[in-house]
Formats: sequence, C-alpha cells, structure tokens
Amino acid sequence: MKSRSLRRYRRNLLIFLAVLGPGIITANVDNDAGGIYTYSVAGAHFGYTLLWSLIPITVALVVVQEMVARMGIVTGKGLADLIREEYGFRATFFLMALLLVADLGNTISEFAGLASGMSVFHVSRYIAVPLGALLVWVLVVKGTYRIVEKVFLAACVFYVAYVVSGFLAHPDWKVAMVSTVKPSLHFDSGSLYMIIGLVGTTIAPWMQFYLQSAVVEKGTKLKNYVQSRWDVIIGCIITDIVAFFIIVACAATIYISGNHEIANAGDAALALRPLAGRAAAALFAFGLCNASLFSACILPLATAYYVCEGLGLESGINKRLHEAPTFYSLFTGLIVLGALAVLLLSEQKQVPIILLSQVANGIILPFVLIFMLRLSNREDLMGAYRNTRAFNIIAWVTCVVMISLTLLLAVSAFFPRYIPK
Amino acid sequence: MIYFTELENLPIYDARGEYLGRLVDLGINPSQNPLQVATYLVRTPKNQLLSITHTQLPSISVRAAQTRVPAEEVRPYTPEEDLIRIKKDVLDQQIIDVNDQKVVRVNDVDFDIRPNDGLTDLQIVAVNVGWEAAVRRLLQGVFAKHTIRRVAGLFSQKTIPWEFVNLIEPDPSRRLRLRISYSRLADLHPADLADILEDLSRDEQKSVIESLDDETAAQAVSEISTKMQVALLESIPASRAADIVEEMPPDEAADVLQELAPETSAQVLANMEKEEAKEVRNLLGFEENTAGGLMTTEFIVVGDLATVESAVAALKAFDGSMESVHAIYLIDANANLTGVVPLGRLLLAEPGAALQQLSTDPIISVPFHADEKGVVSLFNKYNLLTLPVVDDNGRILGEVTADDVLDLLISSK
Repeated sequence: MKSRSLRRYRRNLLIFLAVLGPGIITANVDNDAGGIYTYSVAGAHFGYTLLWSLIPITVALVVVQEMVARMGIVTGKGLADLIREEYGFRATFFLMALLLVADLGNTISEFAGLASGMSVFHVSRYIAVPLGALLVWVLVVKGTYRIVEKVFLAACVFYVAYVVSGFLAHPDWKVAMVSTVKPSLHFDSGSLYMIIGLVGTTIAPWMQFYLQSAVVEKGTKLKNYVQSRWDVIIGCIITDIVAFFIIVACAATIYISGNHEIANAGDAALALRPLAGRAAAALFAFGLCNASLFSACILPLATAYYVCEGLGLESGINKRLHEAPTFYSLFTGLIVLGALAVLLLSEQKQVPIILLSQVANGIILPFVLIFMLRLSNREDLMGAYRNTRAFNIIAWVTCVVMISLTLLLAVSAFFPRYIPK
Repeated sequence: MIYFTELENLPIYDARGEYLGRLVDLGINPSQNPLQVATYLVRTPKNQLLSITHTQLPSISVRAAQTRVPAEEVRPYTPEEDLIRIKKDVLDQQIIDVNDQKVVRVNDVDFDIRPNDGLTDLQIVAVNVGWEAAVRRLLQGVFAKHTIRRVAGLFSQKTIPWEFVNLIEPDPSRRLRLRISYSRLADLHPADLADILEDLSRDEQKSVIESLDDETAAQAVSEISTKMQVALLESIPASRAADIVEEMPPDEAADVLQELAPETSAQVLANMEKEEAKEVRNLLGFEENTAGGLMTTEFIVVGDLATVESAVAALKAFDGSMESVHAIYLIDANANLTGVVPLGRLLLAEPGAALQQLSTDPIISVPFHADEKGVVSLFNKYNLLTLPVVDDNGRILGEVTADDVLDLLISSK
C-alpha cells in the first residue's frame, strides 16, 4: 500500500529529506565552502573577538527566513513564482540572470573548497574535482530517492566534524563564551569588513528562493506553521553553531600562533595540525569536503529550479531531457563550469569570478529583500498572515542594515583600496 | 495580429485630441463576449484609473488610440466590474493548456485587430509562452515596436490558442462571474489531470478539485503524491473529502486515510457511506509492507459449484473498476479459496461449463502477513497479473494487482 506514496518521489527531490525540515537543510547548505573560509578567516585574524556578531546575525537570519517560509506556506508558491506574478517578466529575468552569475561563483567556490579540502589528504585537485563533479551530477540526475536521501542525511550529520574539531583545538572556553555574549565594538575597518563578510556569507539571496520552494514542495500546511517556524529557527541556530565552532577552532590555534594568513579553507585545516593535532585537522578538512560536495549538489540544482520556475520553463528531475532542456543545461552547465574553473584557472584567476559573484549577490539581495517585504505585506496574498507592524519594523531595520553591509561588501570587492586594512 | 506588449502604455487621446493617459490593461467581459476586449483601462497622469468601453474607442493602432467621446464622459474604473483583465489575470500567470495538458506561464497575449462598423474590434486569439514573447517582454519600451518585432522574430515562437487556455482562479465566486470552468479537465486522462494538479499551488488545486465531479476528482487524487493528497483532502470539507475517498479504490482510500491526521481521518470515515467505510476500516487493520497492506478488497468471488454463466452475471454486477479485473475467485461454503479462473478462460468456455474445471492448478495465493518482497517474487516467478490474499485458514481476504507491485518496485528502486 505504501508503494503509491513514493510514486512521484522524484518531483520532491528539492526537499530531499522528509525527516529534516527545509529550514535545517537550508542551514546546512548555507555553511558551504565560502562560509567555512570566511569563518576561518574571522577566527584566524580576530580570535574570539568577533564571536558576538553571530548572535545578531542569527536574529537577522531568523527574521528573513521566517518571512519566506511563511510566504511559502500561505501562498503555496515559490518566491520566483510570486515575483514573476507580481513584478512581471523583466524584473524576474534580470533577477534570475544575476542569480545565475552569483550561483556560478558559489559553485566555483564549492569545487575550490573540495580541492583544498582534499589537498589536506594529499589528493590532487585533478582527481578530486572531476570525480566530485561527476558524483554530484550522477547522484542528482541518476540517483534514486532512497540513495539520495541517505547520502544527504549523512552529509548533514557530518557537520558535527566541526564541533569535534572545535573541541580538539582546546579553546579557552571562558573567553569564547564571554566574547559571544559581550560585544566588543572595535570600529576599525578591518573588523568591520570582516563582519560584512560574515553577514554576506550567512544571508544570501539564493537561500530565500531555495527555502520558499522547499517549504512549498514539502506541502507544509497552515496549521503546521508553528512547527515550520521552529524548523527555521533551529536551522538558523545550527548554521551559527557550526560557524561558532569553526571560528573557535581557528581562534584557539591559528590566531594564537601569530601567523594569521590563510589563503583558503584547506590552509586553515593544515594550520590546525601543529596546534590541535592531526585528528582535528583531518576532521576540519573532512568537514570542508563534505560541505563543499553537499552544497555543490544542491546549489546548481536549486538554481536551475528557480530560474526555470521564474521564466516559466519546464523544470524538475522527474522530467526527461527533451522535456526540460533548459533545466538540465543550467544544472549541468553550472557543475561543469564550476569544476572547470577550478581545474583550469589558478587561484588568482578565480578571484575575479568570485568577486563578480559577490557583486551579483550584493545587487540581488536588496531587491530580493524588498520584494519579500512588500509581498509579505500584501493582504490579497497573505491575508491574516501578513507581517505585523512590530515584525515590519524589525524586518525593515534588518533589511536596511543588511543591504548597506552587502553593498559595502560589493563595493569593497571592486575597490579594495577604499577599504583600508 | 497585435501583441499585448505593443498595446501596453499606448497613449490614449479623447475626441478633442487631448491626452487622456496611457493604456494599462485590457478587460474582457465573458458574460457578454468571451473573446472581445470590452474595456480599456487607462491610467491618467494624475494616477486615476479610467474605464473606456469598446464602443467609446473607434480607432486604435500600434501608435495611439482615440476615443469618440470627450474626457468628461469616460467613467472611472471600479473593481466591481466583472472583467478578465489581461495584465492582471493572464499575463505572467500560470494557465492550463488543455490541449497539451500542461501548466504554463504566459509571456504575452496575441490579439486580432480589425475594423468593424466604424469601431475597432480587438479579439483575443492566443497566449504566447515561447522565447519570442519573452524577448518582446524584455525589450518592451526600450526599442521601437517594429525593431522589437524583428529581433523577437529570430526566436522560437510558441502560442496556445485561446480556446485551449484554461485560466486558474482560486476564488469560486469570481470563477463563476468570469465563467471560468474546469469542465474540460474532466475529459483528460486522470493521470494527465494529476500531472496538471501537481504543477498547481494548493489553493489552485483545491479550486480545480472543488469543481470536478466526485468520480473524476477521485481518479485524479488517486494519481497524485500522498503528500498532496493529504494537503488537499485536509483543506476541503470532510463531507466532500468523504465523497471523493468513497470513489477511490479501497486500497488507495486506505493509503490516504492512513496518512491523514487522525481526527481528519475519523471525520472522513464518519462521513462515508457505511459499506465503503467498513471496507476501508478493514484494510486499515493490516500492516504496511505486507500482502494485507498491499491488497484491495474490490474483487469478484463466486461459489465453486457455479457455472460460467453465473460468473458472467457476477462480472456484470461488479461495480468496482473493470480495468483491474483479471481473474475471478472461487470459494467453498467456508469462504475458503478453492479456485482462480482467469478471464481469458472464461471467455472461451461454454456457458454451462463448471468453473472448477477452468481454475488454474495449482492455485497461487499468499497469506496476508507475508511481506512485500515475498509478494513481488511470487508475481515474478508465476508471471501473475493478480494474486489472491488469504488468511491463516485459507479464506480469501483480497487481491494484490500487478500495478501495485509495479509501483512498489519503482519506488523502492
């Protein structure tokens, strides 16, 4: 009898895991290679001093994510759908084009993360990256629901590696805890720039599209809205707990050692070795590979989904190639380009693409946030579930702060000399 | 042929040649004429919305349009007007392409423009969903209209004639006023209809299901994913949910009821006819992943002393789904399974022949507690289409059909 329930399983691939909520999955994808690198740098350069910023970041993340989850539940439509229906084709097209650029950059950094993580285990990038790309593609396109489910569940659990490596680094827990709750406001440009980086890597435009689609695909009902809100809150907290342990691990080792320079997240793992031991370094690198592969699966897939959704093209893994050519081209193209960029370009040459993607992210985020705020205030769409006045105040303040920070990050990416180190 | 993208923002002048405003939307009044543009919505420079009727606007072209009345005679627009608004209700919205059985998003709308008795008739012809229309949307207002036509012409075009377009309107009263019906969907194959349903949002699904008859709704609901079945059945009144579940094959009905929230499930069962509810309750007692959990209770039994004639009579009296009947089962006075007669053998036999003679030998059956894998291997080994399920005493309880086994295999792959 159960057989029928799984009959159309492929259509539900976006949510991947029935056991985990969309909020928790989004949170795990959010801690991708780029995120891990940013957290490592924060710990390596500033020790424990920036830990306090994780709490306001968590709050902002909860505010934004709760809004999209609520929109998904109430309207039953994805964010790309809603934007298309309310703001027309042109706005959607440009948004999707920029999102594609941003996510290409993200995908490149996932494969770069995989390469640098595997280099810790002395595996050449020329082996790790093509194999990783192939694995990701085959898993998503040819994989069956049961296998994919198990693989992703395992990937989510493996984030624990960071918690363990945080403990192995023997941090000064007292200082770490105090720094977490007691803001130490140094308005020097260096730490400000770092905070912008932390915000930018934690709250990204693609997440909003992904989360809303995942909530819709999960079919969450209005009466389960409370559980869904908890799913979002727990997810946001998980994101920042992982971030916390990465910062702590690097603060306890690299920062203390005096040599703060790390070029990539793999460097961070290597730098852990003399101080925290082989096990901590290996766990850190393993966590990086795991996170990179996990995000390299979901990002290209999700991007292909909502680009097609917004433009009204056929999408879905359950469709055949000739039924959804754009969908498959986008998905495959992102993976192939992402992997090729890492294989063919030196790290220096990848920088402009990553910068471009950061700029694209910076341009999209204000629009996405403003669209979201306006949509979630529409009575005809949201009815009784539209934002309350109090929520609106918090949300607008959050959005204005985030928009300013992100714009600053995008500007600084292009004109680094205007941001003194 | 003229496109909505070419009409949007068209400058409108009144009879004296004074600028009224720009065209923002077109309205069709389905109760008067389902194809004809009846109303032109114009936004004035003072941001007021005017409603110009078809008869007030004799001349319209890609450059401009002029009314035959002075500005004072043009009414302001009121939302009460029952109009299908092209920009608001059609453009960028999802529609059902009844011909291709797909849900698509509209990029542009095509109109036929022709003079008629001193007026200009604008008739809706098709919606445009291809790249060509997408390019037009992208360039609209940036380049001259003829340039856009040339550039867009380089891309592939895909149009859906208006007669095959089914708008989706979740609000039932507005649907009624705008004469939007889903009656054409009832003619589709349930599996195609289910595909369409899966592409719609929850409210839209609900609106389609609400307007279908119980039997069509049940067939379509049987084909959608369990998650959607649950969401859908929980969002409609329990009495209607019961009507739909009643029409579903008992094994599928039991599947759905198992997934519903316990209180909803109880409400639906309470609203069902006694007979059907009993059958489903019975099935709910069997464990998942066993032969009992897989079986349906819709099957045909006759006494093992009967003849072909009475078997045919039993077939005629059967009110379940005929497609799934591949064999009839023979039972003795204790309801023990004593024979299985494939339909083909029945067809070739003399009317007076004893059924027992036609039974397959040996009789393949499975106890209700056997696990799914055992069921699958029996189907494989004996090349079965159906398999009777029996209790420990050999009494028949139901049958497993090949399509259930196929589903099982595909989902566990």
